[in-house]
Amino acid sequence: MVTEDSGNEVVVRLDGVRKEYGETTALAGVSLEVRAGEAVAVMGPSGCGKSTLLNMIAGLDRPTGGSVVVHGENVGECDEKRLALYRRHRIGMIFQFFNLIDDLSALDNVALAAQLTGTPARQARRRALELLDELGVAGRRNAHPAVLSGGERQRVAVARALMNRPALLLADEPTGALDSRAGEQVMDLLLDLNQIGQTLILVTHDARLARRCAGRLIQLADGRVTGEQTLEVTA
Amino acid sequence: MRAVWRAARAAVRRRGLQTLVIALVTLTSGAAMVIALGLLDAASAPFDKVFGAQRGPHVVAVFDPAKASGERLERAARQPGVEAAGPFRQATVELPDDAMRFGLGAQITVVGRADPGGPVDRPDLWAGRWATRPGEVVLNRQSDWAPDDLGKRLPVRPGGPSLTVVGFAFDLSGTADAWVAPGQIDALRPTAAQLLLRFPDASSESALRAGLETVTETLPDGSLTASRSYLALKHQVSSSARAYTPYLMAFGILGVVVAVLIIVNVVSGAVISGFRQIGVLRALGFTPWQVVGVHLAWISVPAVLGSALGTAVGNAVARPFFGSVFTGPDAGVLHDSVSVSGRVNAVTLIGLPAVCLLAALAPTLRVHRMPAARAISAGSAPRAGRALRLQRRLAGSALPRPVSLGMGLPFARPGRSALTLAAVVLGVTTVTFATGLATTMDRFGGAGRDAYQVTVYASRFDDGREIQPRHPDRELHALLAGLPDATEVTARADVEVRLVGSAHPVILEGRRGDRLSLGDVLTAGRWMRGDDEIVAGSAFLRRNGVRVGDRITLEKGGQRRTMRVVGEVMQNNARVVVTGWPALHALAPDEKPIAYHVRLRDGADPAAYARAARAADTGVSPAPRGPDNLTRTIVGSATALTLMLALVSALGVFNTVVLNTRDRRRDLGTLKSMGMTPGQVTVMTVTSMAVLGVLGSLLGIPLGVAGYELVVPRMADAVDITLPAFMTDVWHAPALAALALAGVAIAVAGALVPARRAGRLTIAEVLRGE
Repeated sequence: MVTEDSGNEVVVRLDGVRKEYGETTALAGVSLEVRAGEAVAVMGPSGCGKSTLLNMIAGLDRPTGGSVVVHGENVGECDEKRLALYRRHRIGMIFQFFNLIDDLSALDNVALAAQLTGTPARQARRRALELLDELGVAGRRNAHPAVLSGGERQRVAVARALMNRPALLLADEPTGALDSRAGEQVMDLLLDLNQIGQTLILVTHDARLARRCAGRLIQLADGRVTGEQTLEVTA
Repeated sequence: MRAVWRAARAAVRRRGLQTLVIALVTLTSGAAMVIALGLLDAASAPFDKVFGAQRGPHVVAVFDPAKASGERLERAARQPGVEAAGPFRQATVELPDDAMRFGLGAQITVVGRADPGGPVDRPDLWAGRWATRPGEVVLNRQSDWAPDDLGKRLPVRPGGPSLTVVGFAFDLSGTADAWVAPGQIDALRPTAAQLLLRFPDASSESALRAGLETVTETLPDGSLTASRSYLALKHQVSSSARAYTPYLMAFGILGVVVAVLIIVNVVSGAVISGFRQIGVLRALGFTPWQVVGVHLAWISVPAVLGSALGTAVGNAVARPFFGSVFTGPDAGVLHDSVSVSGRVNAVTLIGLPAVCLLAALAPTLRVHRMPAARAISAGSAPRAGRALRLQRRLAGSALPRPVSLGMGLPFARPGRSALTLAAVVLGVTTVTFATGLATTMDRFGGAGRDAYQVTVYASRFDDGREIQPRHPDRELHALLAGLPDATEVTARADVEVRLVGSAHPVILEGRRGDRLSLGDVLTAGRWMRGDDEIVAGSAFLRRNGVRVGDRITLEKGGQRRTMRVVGEVMQNNARVVVTGWPALHALAPDEKPIAYHVRLRDGADPAAYARAARAADTGVSPAPRGPDNLTRTIVGSATALTLMLALVSALGVFNTVVLNTRDRRRDLGTLKSMGMTPGQVTVMTVTSMAVLGVLGSLLGIPLGVAGYELVVPRMADAVDITLPAFMTDVWHAPALAALALAGVAIAVAGALVPARRAGRLTIAEVLRGE
């Protein structure tokens, strides 16, 4: 577990980030840093701006004020194409509802991420199979998402997020749609990933997940950082 | 009920784009449908329509007034079920050789008639007014005649009155060449009286004969001097319309089918994509039938608006369009009735919204039976993947991933894709058919167009008087050949002769000079080489049972000449045969050319040559060759109709992409979150429709070719011409390759805008919705 004082380089730096949707303020000047290898959990009540914060870092949305710098790149100033390349090469996303493509098999869902970078199909499938194998769902590689269990779907989604060896793994309520057993498995998976050096930012309601996987907890309320604490790893 | 209407209004607002698409599609389809149905309506039974509108006489009966008085004829016509007009006194009048004859010929039939109304035979007075005073005459001319001739004089010989043209009227039945007021007819020495009769049964010659016998049975023997039934006229008049009919029918049917298909696709797709909303309404307490009501009310708003606007647009477009297509009674439209009939508008206004509602009803009823929870989860629950084997194969291909993903998309929604494909197929069919037709018509119209650019008529009319050229024939010929820019001059004369063994008169056309073919296209045999050789049109050969190689004998004023038919030309005038000057001269030694056809060097100005010819001899009337209107009309209308149907097809594709994008918002957001660029999203989306475009071309081209092979020969047969192979040989590899792009072009044109919009989707918004 890498923590803030570990001296690693800063991977993510948010400085006074604001996001407004019309009259509604989702983020009201958030500043924070995440260092390489850290596992950071962002918690807070519904509507506090957790997912919006994650979207800013992932380049899925643009701030209306402040700056989001990831690996030295000011995400808010990138054009659409540059943002796409940024997401493709730097970011791995895990969603609450998995967001797998229904018409593709598990294997092709995972391989797709590499194929978008121009990796030949055969090579992409080989790497995808390795990942599915590592995550324990290789046996379900030819199944389509509709017939997979929630845990299996999320593991396929994690494999897809890791496909391009992203510098930063972002997870938005990764256990939110899973039963407790599947949730446990996904928690273990995230912990394992972080322990081998994967930088992780986790948005969750689940304090148990945060305590288990993250080394640092950021509390958000009304679009502001209201607290921050270093956590003991419980695993 | 209020809740239903409120929910429907909310649906209109919330699903603004879809509402707009439905309105646009119904608008375009409505316009296409009005024109298509209008074409079908106009193309069916054009003779019957004009004949019916004019209350044309089934029989024109001519009587000897010395044997049957007017009162007696009037009484005789009063039979049960018989409608009659007249008797009108009738005179045969000769027009002087040097008079302007308004294209009526040397001998005309003039009838004394007080007005153009009445129960039978109502001439269409399209310019000026009816003749009501002595000295006035109305001429029977079609509406393409120059109305500038009003006020000109029609001299009558010998010693007859001078008549002033006060009106032009068109009478399809040809009961007279001209009409004067009843008080004027005496001065023209009438020799007959005509009764115009309509019978309850006019289905056959025998029925008409029987009807006429009931009228004439009380009249003295020999009082009926002649009679003519409308059936012969019907056959004669309908031949031109028959040329248009197959092509207009083809476009009309295509238009209606495409319109209905697109509407079914758009509306059913819109309802299916709103399943979730149906579930929400059910959860809120709406009854299943109220939910059906909400959807039908929502669909009816854009459907009714679009249909009304489409009908208005269709009428606005149809008026000038029909005006150019239907130039005359042969096509079934009179000068003041170039518009879409009321029943076509009614069918569109009622039929189109009905089609929309039916298209909406089927999927809505499906949800009506669905549990609310299942309806709510529609769209958010994972779908069972479709065509997985194909997707796997595509994913493993060497194609760029956005392309291979796009190629697999149509198989995810096979029903919607099939309907879209059908629209593209019909679009390609239309483009293929129209391309073949336009190519043939272009070659038809262009054939022989370079043979001459100016026709110099060997006379001129000045204030009703004919002025002859100052130079004799041969000198004039040489003079015209010597003018600047002239390269070839061919003289032409027409003389009426009799074909021995036939009752039909024949026009023998004699040619002399540089180019005896004069642009006529030979379809069999060869051109004349010897003095006693002729060529004839296919219509002449068919009518008289003559073949190339046969001999025929022509007679003129006691002179007979047997001639050999050596060639067949593309000519639909069944009365004309063409020969060289010596043969014509042998039958009619005094005949002089009526015109000289002049070919100019490339790039020369025909108008400048015409001015030079007029200056060289003030007795000639040079006329630069005008455009080929029939060809231009058919090519122009085919192009306009094709563009319209291709636009409707593209709108179908547009709608499919809008629906697909809506259905796949989550997938698009996910793909973008994985690093798919907006350009790649656009490529993927356009590819998904381009696949349908390629399939559409593969299916549509053979259908279009089949349509061409079905329609074009019928058009040619209808006007009694044989098209030479070079005109119908239109399907070559480059043309087919270009047509193969038609489907892709329709698909890409329809997909591009919504595809670019899909590329710009904001990921956070899309995924937040999940």
